[in-house]
This record gives sequence, C-alpha cells and structure tokens, in this order.
Amino acid sequence: MAVKVVRRRELTFWEKLYIPQILSGLKITSKHFFRNLLLHIAHRLGLLKHLRASVTYQYPEEPRPLMSRFRSRHRLTVRDEGTPRCVGCMLCETVCPAKCITILAGEHPDPNVEKYPVRFDIDLGVCVYCGYCVEVCPEDAIRMDSGILDVAAYSREEMKLDIHELMNPALRKPVGECNLPFPHQCRLTGGQIKGSWEEVASGRR
Amino acid sequence: MIDVAIKLGLAMVVFFGVLNLAGLHTWIERKQSAIIQDRIGANRASIFGFKLLGLFHPLADAVKMFTKEDIIPARGDKVLHTLAPAFSVFFALAAFAAIPFGDRLMLGGRVIELQVAKLDVALLYIFAMLSLGVYGVILAGFASRNNYALLGGLRATAQMISYEIALGIAIIGLILVYQTLDLQDLVRAQGKLLGGWIPLWGIVVQPVAFFVFVTAALAETKRIPFDLPEGESEIIGYFVEYSGMKFGMFFLTDFLETIMVACLAATLFFGGWQVPYLMPDGFHFPWGGSFAVSHWTYVLMGVASFSLKVLFFCWLFMQLRWTLPRFRYDQLMKLGWLGLFPVAVANVVVTASVLYWLGGRN
Amino acid sequence: MPALTIDGRRIDAPDGSTVIQAAEQAGIFIARYCYHPGLSIAGNCRICLVEVEKNPKLQIACNTPVMEGMVVHTNSGKAEDGRRAVLEFLLANHPLDCPVCDQSGECDLQNFYMNFGLYDPRFEEQKVKKKKAVAIGPHVMLDQERCILCSRCVRFTDEITKTGEFGIFNRGDKAELGLFPGQTLDNAYSANVIDICPVGALTEMDFRFKARVWYLSSAPSVCNGCAQGCNIDVHFVLNRPHLNDGARIMRLKPRYNPDVNQWWMCDEGRFGFGWIDRGRLTKVLHHGVQSAWDEAMAAIASSLPQLRLGVIASAQLTVEELFLIREVFHDAQITASVPEAPGSSDDFLIQADKNPNTLGAAWLGFAQRDIVHDALQGRIDALWVFGHDLAKLFGEETLQELSSKLRLFVYSGTNENPTSSSATWALPAAAYLEKEGTFVNCHGRIQRVRQAFPPLLDSREDWRLLLDLARQINRPRHYRNPQEIFLGLAATEVRFKNLNYEAIGTQGFPLHD
Repeated sequence: MAVKVVRRRELTFWEKLYIPQILSGLKITSKHFFRNLLLHIAHRLGLLKHLRASVTYQYPEEPRPLMSRFRSRHRLTVRDEGTPRCVGCMLCETVCPAKCITILAGEHPDPNVEKYPVRFDIDLGVCVYCGYCVEVCPEDAIRMDSGILDVAAYSREEMKLDIHELMNPALRKPVGECNLPFPHQCRLTGGQIKGSWEEVASGRR
Repeated sequence: MIDVAIKLGLAMVVFFGVLNLAGLHTWIERKQSAIIQDRIGANRASIFGFKLLGLFHPLADAVKMFTKEDIIPARGDKVLHTLAPAFSVFFALAAFAAIPFGDRLMLGGRVIELQVAKLDVALLYIFAMLSLGVYGVILAGFASRNNYALLGGLRATAQMISYEIALGIAIIGLILVYQTLDLQDLVRAQGKLLGGWIPLWGIVVQPVAFFVFVTAALAETKRIPFDLPEGESEIIGYFVEYSGMKFGMFFLTDFLETIMVACLAATLFFGGWQVPYLMPDGFHFPWGGSFAVSHWTYVLMGVASFSLKVLFFCWLFMQLRWTLPRFRYDQLMKLGWLGLFPVAVANVVVTASVLYWLGGRN
Repeated sequence: MPALTIDGRRIDAPDGSTVIQAAEQAGIFIARYCYHPGLSIAGNCRICLVEVEKNPKLQIACNTPVMEGMVVHTNSGKAEDGRRAVLEFLLANHPLDCPVCDQSGECDLQNFYMNFGLYDPRFEEQKVKKKKAVAIGPHVMLDQERCILCSRCVRFTDEITKTGEFGIFNRGDKAELGLFPGQTLDNAYSANVIDICPVGALTEMDFRFKARVWYLSSAPSVCNGCAQGCNIDVHFVLNRPHLNDGARIMRLKPRYNPDVNQWWMCDEGRFGFGWIDRGRLTKVLHHGVQSAWDEAMAAIASSLPQLRLGVIASAQLTVEELFLIREVFHDAQITASVPEAPGSSDDFLIQADKNPNTLGAAWLGFAQRDIVHDALQGRIDALWVFGHDLAKLFGEETLQELSSKLRLFVYSGTNENPTSSSATWALPAAAYLEKEGTFVNCHGRIQRVRQAFPPLLDSREDWRLLLDLARQINRPRHYRNPQEIFLGLAATEVRFKNLNYEAIGTQGFPLHD
C-alpha cells in the first residue's frame, strides 16, 4: 500500500498567538448568533418569514419530508376489488433476515390469481427494516412507502401487524372491527377464517 | 441591628441575583448554542400551555435534579462524597460577598456600600475562595472511589493550581497601577479619565493582563475549551459518581464560577459599576456640557452598568464555549506554564518599570 | 459394448443404450424434460440436444443410440446454443406463474433456465391462454398453460397404469394436455404424474399452497402402508408451525429403488400420513386421566410379575421392537397377528397385507394365537396391546368385556382410539417416522426407516419404553439404541446374521429363507 506522508502545516506567528484565531472563530459563531437572533425576533413580529432561522424540523408538528426511497412501515397494495395484490408466494417470508413475516396462503377463486394470503402478519418488534421483502416481491404487493415512522408501542403484542393494518395503513391500534370481506385470518378473528368470496363479489357490484 | 439587617439584605440581593443567573445559565447555554448552530433549542417544557421560549426548562431541570435518586458509591467515602459538592458551591458563592455591584447609597443618613462585605483585601479574599474551590473537586474525585473520578479530580487540581499562578500574577500589574486590594476603591479608581476623554479602566492600562486574566479565569471555571476535568461525554470527570442534586451542585458551581469570572472581569478591567463620564452628581462630558441626575438614578445606573457588563461577559464566555474545541491536556499545561505564566510575569515587570519611570510624578 | 467419448471421457456403454443413458452412467447430466428412465422414449422436448461429431445437426441424446467411436459434446457452443434456443421456445408460452406455482423451487424449467438459459426474453406477444387450476382427479390439479407437452404423464398412464386417461389435443400453440372426455384421473397411482411432471402443470391437491418446497426438510424412509415397503422421502417442516395448522409432514415422495418400487408409489400410501400429525395420543393416560411416564412405568413394572401377561404385538412395529418384546416378555403369551381383513391389492405395488413388517414378525417366531379369546376365558389377566384398536378388530362389546375382566390393560400406540380410552394405561408411542428401525417387506427385503423428526410431545419410541420396562422388572437389556438392538438380534437370529445398518443402507438388503 502506498503511504502518503502529509506533513502538518507549521502554524504562522499569528496563528500561534491564538487570539486572532479565536476572534475569527468568534466572528463566525457571532454572525450566526446575531443573524438567527434577529430572525427569531423578526418571526415573532411576523416579519421575514421566508428566511429560516433554524435548519431543524420541529418534528411532530413539522414532519420532515421523506426521501422517495425511504423505508417506512410496510403496507400491502390492494386490488380494485379490495383484496391484497399479494399472491402468497412467501418469497418475503423466505428472504426476511429477521423472520418477522408470517404468511398462510389460500386458494383464490380466480384461477388467474390462484393464490392469495389468508394470513399476513409482520412483527414490527422483530423487523429490521432492511426492505428485502420489497426488493424480492414479484408482484409489487408489499411496499415500505406508508410514511409511517412513529412505530412505537407499550407491548410486543401491539407491534404485531395483521392483514388489516397492512392493507390499510391509516388503521391504528386498536383495530376496531374486522371489515375485510375475503376469507382471512387476523388478530380479530382469533385464528378462525372469516369472510367469503361472495362478499367480495357483492361488494364489487 | 439595622446594620446587620442591611448586610443581610444585601447578601439576599446578591444571592438572589447570582443564583437566578446561574439557573438561567442552563437556559442561556441551551438557547445560545441552539441559535449559534441554526437550531431552536429547548422549547418544549410548558405550564398550562405557556412555553415562554423554553424558560421552564431550568425549572423542570431543578425538579428533576431534586427528585432523582441520590447514589453514593458503596465503597466510597460517604461523608466526603456529600461534602464535596457543598464545598464547591459554598466557596463559589462566598466569593461573591466581596464583589461591589454599585457605588455607595445614601439612605436615611446612612452610607450603604453596595457590596456585601467591605474588605480591605477583597481581591485576596476572592482568590482565596476560588482556590479553595479546588477542594470540592479533589474531594469529589477521591470520595467516589472510582479511578476515573480520581483521575478527573487530579486533572482538575493540576489545571486549577497551574492557572491560578498566571491568574494571580496577571492581577499584580493591576494592583500596581491602582495600588489597592479593596475592590470598591479599585472601581472608583477606574472612574478617572485619561487625558479627559478615555475612562481609565483596567483594560486601558493593562490590556495584556486582561487577556491573561480571562484565559486563566476560564481555565479556572473548567469549561470548554478547558473542560478536561469533566469532559462529560467522553473522558469522564470527577463527578462521574454523582447524581441528583449533588451533581446539580457541581453543575451550579460551574455556572457560579463563570459568573464570578464575569464579575471579576467587569470589576477589574471594565470599571465595575462605572458609567463613562457619570460622576455622583451627573454626567460631565469631555466635550463640555453636563447633565445632572439624582442620587438614586446615579446609584441605579451604576448597578445597571455593572449588571450589563457582567451579562456581556457571560454571553462572551458562552460564545467562546461554543466556538472553541477542547485543548489537549499537554497543550493545556503548555499554555498555562509556557504561555500565560511568562507573559504575566513580563507584564508585571514592564508595568513596574513603567510605573517606576513615571514614579517622579507621584 | 460400444465405446464412445462424451465430453472427452471414454465410456463403454451397453448395447442398445442411448447417449443420455451412457452419459448418466458416466455421471454426466444432460438436461431432459420428456425423457424419463421409467418410460418409453418420446424425444419431443428437444432440450437434450448434444453435438455429435461428423453429424451436421445437433442430436437428441435421449433417442440417439450409442455407436462405436462416437464423439459427443454436451457443452460445446453449438450444443449450448441449441439448448438455449429450445428452452426459449418452451418458455415462450409458459406463464410467469412462479410466485403462485407449487412447483417453483423444484421446477426443471427454473433450474435449466438458471443453468443453461439466462437469455434476455424476446417474446413480446400475448401468451396463449388456456385453462388453469383444473381438478382432474382426487389428487391432481392441472394447469394447461404451464404444460410444456413433454407427454411424460401421457406415457405414464399408457405404460405403467395402462389406464390411458391423458392425451394431448389440438396442434401448434393450441396444443394442450387434457383428459379424454368423461375421464377422471383417479387410478391408484395417479399422483405419480405429479412427480414426473418436470414443470408445474400437474401439482398436488393435498400439498397445494401448504408450504413452499424450499421450506421442506427431507428424510429417507420406507412407507408403512403395506407389505411392499415402497421407499419414500418424507418432506416435513418443523420451524413454521403456522403452515398446515402445525402439522409437520407436508408430503411423501417415492424414493427410487430399482428392486422395490422403482420411481413409483401408490396414492394410498402417498396420502396416508395424516394420522402422524392428527389425533395423536400425546400424554400418558391412566384410565383416561393424564399421568406421567415415571408413574406409568413404575406401576406397570410393580404389577406385572404377579400377573399372567398376554401381549398383542404388531406387524407395524420394527424388527428391533419385536425382538425386544420377545426378549422382555419371554414368559408371556405373545402374538403379532390379529384378524385383519385383507385390503385392496394389485399386481404392481399394492399388497393386500397392510402391515409393513409381517414377514419380520413371522421370522422372529411370532405365532398365531388368539390372545383376546384367552383373556376373555380368564387364562390371562394382563394384556399389553401395541397399536391395535381392539374395538375395530373385535367390536366395542369385546373391548368393554376385556377391560372389565383384565387386571392390567396396557395400550401403547400412536393415536387416540376406543382402546386407548378403555385401557388401564395408555402409553403414547412414536410413529414410524419418529424412530429408527427396520422392516422386512413381503419379498424378504430388510429396509431401514429413519427418524425424520423427534417423537411428538410426550410420545416415546416403543423400543425405548421396552428397554425402560425391562430395567424396572429386572430383566435389563444393555442396548442404547436401535442399532445396538439390531446387532443383538443379528447375533441371535440366523436370518439376520452378519447384518448391520450400514449393510442395509438406503436401498435395503434382500434376505432369504
């Protein structure tokens, strides 16, 4: 490996005196101080609102704009008739390094769809937000673009999302009623399969 | 009897002012750093929805400090561990007794000096108190029975003793010029005008001493850039084993010392309570013309002048604290012994020589 | 014996063999869809194209007879190009169903694309639509779009089962696989078409969507469904209990054994594994109340010496367990046979005797004896039943009478049934997939079953409980595992002389009288 020796520059006399250097530092910090102080005061008076006095975001009131590739809480994309686009191929369950995805597949009445997830749970308490599930999905059925960042709970149980919350990111715990028409297993049904395809068909009409 | 009451009253005023200012320093520290760094700073604590620019944070801090668990290391020295922060705060506060914060006030035929303790050797007293402050630090380090705390205490002791020398010698030049150790007299002496125009403040006659003094005094306060004894987040200091209000007292001591240094800088080098061209009977401008003021106005303007100067220095020190990075320990020692110390000695020699040369006039 | 060269290797191939067989014999794999060693050669998929020197065109390896001095290249540029082109044609109308297809993971289209294809798809037209997810029989689901028309299934039903349900209809890209009108695929070997289908056109209904194949673990074993003892692979999942309601076994697959079942197995055996995960006896029961192994063994051991014991062993037990029963209960009345009605049979694989180890029991000297009759007559007052449901064999009343007459009635079996609930002690036993051992099939071939996974919950292997009991009734046997028991057996029984597990291996070992 080539070694490059970088000699530390000798300080000049003025730099060795410290004081001029300290003053130039003070000049910079003071410039910021007075500019921002004046702007803060001006803002209080309703002036100069277009100039920001701080670069920080006041988080809960002022959410930060997210990058388009930011990985937030998962969601399942939905077909027009209100069923998940997921075909239950279990690639995400397979690729998940944290093993936080649980899928149970079932028979879809449309032979061109064939398969769909009866159960789709993600345990966010285990999830590492790597985004592999999104990468691997062949159907664009799982995305991490819900923009939900404030995933926090008082118990591990509350961190577990079922198909309701994944299909409708607006839902927050506690999920009141089980309103998915197609046969599925969720937290609310206690392991029993609920819903029928006739309901889906009638809902479409 | 009334004399005692007056002294107590003065002491209360000083206590009140200083302790509040120290408390406010936590707020100033946060807000000033925030504004320097393009942030907003603490603004969340509220009472009934009023946030008041985050001014309730010091209150919340105090509540937190008082209610936190007080931990004493099992194998530490319990008595000294408890005494150490008390020492620190006590000596820091005691020093303020000798600071004059206004000219004498005539009230009901009495002459009240606006200074808690009128001492002939006020300057020596203050320096004695500041020196004693080191005991709080070394005791804290020792009593914690924690290697890191002890090392922090040793660092602090070495630093404070080293810089006290430069600090003391820097002041000698000033004492030579004004020929007094009584701070009230020293402030009065700064009321004269040089050539009828320039107030004869310490900064004018002893600029070198001022820089040496400020640097050494900042080192005494153990704050950035001289915070090697503490280094809260990285190197761990002498109060690593302290929690709750005992930690709070060390915290308070820091700010008290900062205010002390600000007071000293204002008193010694910036004319203390002096207002340029203001005499006890009113303004006498060098370009002729004068403007009479009442006695009360005069005294209050003095107090206000002193307060403003102190606040300015508090701001300046805070600004420095958020401008400079920390010294390395060898740099710190080198600066103290090979930088400030010789400069301070040279300053004394030069001052003495000049005074001797000018001595014919006295 | 013509000598030829394949990929630079000289091979002496038998007369009349084809290039693909010669290559296989030399360990060179040539891609194939329509070629199957158990079926006639069709030569219609064209994926096995190889370059034969002095021959201007690529030849299909499956139907090119070997000739003296032939030089074959399977991986020359020309052969690779040809193979890739064929694959591209096959995939032109193949739907992108891999996410939903149960075959994915063990699909030869996927495998060969990754091995030999890897081209950029050029097909921009609409793919041909055909019927999907058609249930063509009780076990098989047909997806016509996925079919590549290799005709393996057609040849299987024509040549092996001779039922001829399948046909390929229409021509060109409209050609599709289907059943002849009025037919259903319900012959006794129908599910074998799933195994031989190289793609996802024929998939299993029972296994459908239960798990992905890459979740499956596999263990070699032997089917216990009849005396034939077909070799099988057990495919199971232990770490994903949400799949298939916690059942461990997902499916059974035939394992190639040229001397027993070749590539095939019957549907009855293939789908007869439900009892291993459902309705199991999982706790020790004392008069139907939950108890513990220690209590049960202590109680049985203390009362056995005073009682006249009858043992109904079972031809479902392994040779090792039967040997132990004979050793431990040497002073008891023992039989391994019960009056079971013969089941269905045919002249291919299915045997009427539905026990996997009848010959093994007979060779160990288990005689015909009506122990139930003895018990009813009061000639014995303790009965130990291994696995049999007496209610099914002798009727509910007999069972009631037995349980009231007997002073000790022990049932050791895998599943809950009327016998387990009327026994004094019901001991949960491990199923054959949960233990090591050997079976002797109807042709005298000894074959090993392997432990695929540990016994369910509290259940124990019968050999373990017999060794435990032997110690407690002061007849200790110093065996630690089935292998040692087998060595003990080989030392005493002439038929098993010099045998051990290594000699039996994965393909079994033929024994003769």
